[in-house]
Amino acid sequence: MLSLIASILIDGISYGLVLFMVSVGLTVTLGLMRFVNLAHGTFAMVGGYAAATFVTALGLPYVLALILAAAVAGIIAFGLEIALVRRVYARPELDQVLLTIGLVFMGIALSGMIFGNSLVPIRLPEFLRGSTDLGFRSMPTQRFVPLVLGLLSLAGIWLLFERTRFGVKLRATVDNPRAAGELGINTRRVYAAAFAIGAALAGLGGVAGAELLPVEPYYPLKYLVLFLAVVAVGGPGNMAGSFVAAILLGTVETAGKYLAPEFATIALYALMLIVLSWRPEGLFQRSSKT
Amino acid sequence: MTNTQRTLGAAAVIPIVAVALVVIFPNQQAFLAQIAITALLVLSLDLVVGFAGLATLGHAAMYGAGAYAAALYSLHVWAEPLTGLVVGILAGGLVALVSALMLMRAHGLTFLMMTVAITQIIYEIVNKSRAVTGGDDGLYGIMMQPLFGRFEFDFYGRLAFWYAAVVLWLVFLLLRHIAASPFGLTARAVRDDGGRVSSLGGGIFAHRVALYTLSGGIAGLAGALSAQTVQVVGLNTLSVTYSAEILVMLVMGGTGRLWGALLGALVFMMIHHYAAEVDPVRWMLFIGAMLVMIVLFLPKGLFGGLEAAVNRLREGART
Amino acid sequence: MKLTKLLLAAAVAAISTAPLMAETVKVGVIGPFSGPFSGSFGEPFRQGVETYVAMNGQPTEDIEVEFIYRDLQAPDPGRARALAQELVARDGVQYLAGFVFTPNAIAAAGISAQAKIPTVIFNASASAVVSQSPYYVRTSNTLPQVSVPTAQNALEKGYRTVVTAVSDYGPGVDAETSFVKAFEAGGGEVLETIRMPLSTTDFGPYLQSIQLQEPDALFVFLPYGPPTYSFVNAYRNNGLDDAGIAFVGTSETQEVDLQSLGEAAIGLETGYFYSAAHESPENEAFKEKLAELFPDAEPNPATVSAFDGTHALYEMIRATEGQPDPDAAIAAISGASWESPRGPITIDAETRDIIQNVYIRVVEQEENGRLVNREIKTYEAQPDYGVQD
Repeated sequence: MLSLIASILIDGISYGLVLFMVSVGLTVTLGLMRFVNLAHGTFAMVGGYAAATFVTALGLPYVLALILAAAVAGIIAFGLEIALVRRVYARPELDQVLLTIGLVFMGIALSGMIFGNSLVPIRLPEFLRGSTDLGFRSMPTQRFVPLVLGLLSLAGIWLLFERTRFGVKLRATVDNPRAAGELGINTRRVYAAAFAIGAALAGLGGVAGAELLPVEPYYPLKYLVLFLAVVAVGGPGNMAGSFVAAILLGTVETAGKYLAPEFATIALYALMLIVLSWRPEGLFQRSSKT
Repeated sequence: MTNTQRTLGAAAVIPIVAVALVVIFPNQQAFLAQIAITALLVLSLDLVVGFAGLATLGHAAMYGAGAYAAALYSLHVWAEPLTGLVVGILAGGLVALVSALMLMRAHGLTFLMMTVAITQIIYEIVNKSRAVTGGDDGLYGIMMQPLFGRFEFDFYGRLAFWYAAVVLWLVFLLLRHIAASPFGLTARAVRDDGGRVSSLGGGIFAHRVALYTLSGGIAGLAGALSAQTVQVVGLNTLSVTYSAEILVMLVMGGTGRLWGALLGALVFMMIHHYAAEVDPVRWMLFIGAMLVMIVLFLPKGLFGGLEAAVNRLREGART
Repeated sequence: MKLTKLLLAAAVAAISTAPLMAETVKVGVIGPFSGPFSGSFGEPFRQGVETYVAMNGQPTEDIEVEFIYRDLQAPDPGRARALAQELVARDGVQYLAGFVFTPNAIAAAGISAQAKIPTVIFNASASAVVSQSPYYVRTSNTLPQVSVPTAQNALEKGYRTVVTAVSDYGPGVDAETSFVKAFEAGGGEVLETIRMPLSTTDFGPYLQSIQLQEPDALFVFLPYGPPTYSFVNAYRNNGLDDAGIAFVGTSETQEVDLQSLGEAAIGLETGYFYSAAHESPENEAFKEKLAELFPDAEPNPATVSAFDGTHALYEMIRATEGQPDPDAAIAAISGASWESPRGPITIDAETRDIIQNVYIRVVEQEENGRLVNREIKTYEAQPDYGVQD
């Protein structure tokens, strides 16, 4: 019994960390910037393809490929922000939905044309393959990647947004763009940077989560609901909230798989429904009030 | 133009377009029937998105409920089509009513995700009830009786198209009437400024529940039409993906103006169909680029763009 | 007078340049040529058809076959019906082919039955599909067809207890039902049957809880692509192989996924109807032509189903000399047998479903590093065990 509970917690938390890693970038773009970004998965997918290419075609080490993948996703997002996304910040949410869905479609078609319609594995280095013995059971070694990266991203984002001038500027811009502009903040640049950071985090998540969510053209649509769920339950814009939400959702679904395998999915959505009915703003509201 | 002329003119549009479509595409009536049914569904979605101002990814829940209910009714109770439509309306309305009680206090992302959760739960339940619904193999074996006891459903879909088009027409007229009624005006007032209306004592919650239920009933009607004309109901009728697709059609056409829903459904389905025919592999690239263009250049959707173009022409003619 | 002469000359010229007035028979192929299933089905369909045509030319000298491809990404009965109707009424196709998903195939059955369009199913695998139209023929497989021999093999290998884990959808349920029935009939014990939602991404918990029950073997059915990849990796990384729980699979190691599964796949044993490593001159010729036309393509079960499906179409077209005679066409293919790249196959004269060998295969790595499904055992001439229920 004890080992069952331990197993549920271990698997649940490690799954939750994967969920957190793939959604954390969305907390920035959707939560903080208030941009309804349904194309989040596209940037995660871009990161995944980039990493696979770096490792397989160029033979770069995994860790380096991981960092470069995040950079590639960030740079592409930066370009898209300047070319398209910034034109719709002030527009209704539905226009943002339509634009980002359009981007998703294009991303799907392009990645299918470039990388083929089957999944592309990211080859793991020797030390991440196989399983690690935890004493009473084993766990896939790769799961330590989302664990480490998840905690690092959480700390990094907190430092960036709460402890740097950029963070102050971003919060000022989000809360009151006009006032921020009058204070001499280049709001356009701040937004572009934040969007790129969100996408880079997505790229990182795409690589870290690729063992569970394999990289393929339909990635952005297939897992969209998962990303949105984490952000909505956690409270848009709240990093720690997303973290807790991801662990909670991961653990509940995992418990469902152990205890009532057929109803794991229903359990996940029922939990989501209950949390959102109880707290419509998510578990944690955004810290800086508007 | 007087109001009467305007109303008559508006009422004539759907029949004229229907005849034109049959003349232009004489051998594709099953496809045209699909368009009519989809247009009806997008119309119902406009009530939620355009009139209540709520973005949903769960509208398929009501559509699927109507489809499965009508299919089961025809298989196990009576294969008469018109009563089947009523069953579809009731099923869609019921699902909408029950979920509205949970949903109508939420908005924004929360509302969106709750509609997703409800749809996914219904999807899973239907998937698991294989004995009743056929699961993902689909529910099949539906054989409808002749319409009014006289007109047989032919496999070319001729009757199917006219049947769906007439229902679409009637619902459109009804919704135009409702949109101009106090109920419809209140709906828009609630959307534009919830706070003020509630301070005036309008029961916002009850009003939104009523609107959502009406929308669900019409979605259920569309589902029933689909079940009766396709004769197979699949789980795709309940999917979040399909909900997203019809939302795209609506936003593309233009929200809050029933015309936008019709135009969006027609144009999206035509372009999808022909782009996929010309290039079965790469058509998604084209559709994606088109959506981006519409957002950038036609902020009020296709119908808004069309209207602006017509106005410009008129002014040009006047000067 | 002059004009008539000129026209006449032109007509003569036209006739003499075309060797014979070739008659065109149109075939509509409906499948996922874009979308999430295009890699596993749509592309293999097209490759199978085109490889067959490249190897065999036209059915006869004076009949030309034109294939019209229509994209249907996912299960969507309404669109399936509309596409079939339009192909028949507008494009004038004499035959239909393709269909990956059961509901789509069933929706088109109404058109096939009423318009009398002989149709070759390239995939849709529910047992009930072929009986939906008297003009349906299938060249793929059903899940009972491959699961029953797989269960027999598991018994022969001495496994007494199993847990089954299948994706929770039609084919998964079919596989589970028929495997359990055959395994229990042979004296085995099924400890638990797990149905995993199709949207599952993390299979670890299922595998951990299976491990706690300590069965001899784990029977698996998963659809192609991403879930298979995650599952196989999870099987290795959660230490089930070390715990001695054998992997009893079906389509998990098929060629389109095999190379991306990588080392995790080595040693996995599966029962299925086609291995690219099948040793026969027919398979060699097929693989050679496929590689010539599509250098990046993997010879996959879906490719062979479409290849054989095209053979069935050719047989029907030849038997009717390109004329629309649906009953004669179906009569010509019912009961037909031929040597396919997968081995000998027969279209059952009664059910119009396929009878074929099922092979037990094990994944091995060749010297060049590529993985292959090595056939180690054959269960000959297996019917669809589903229809007997």
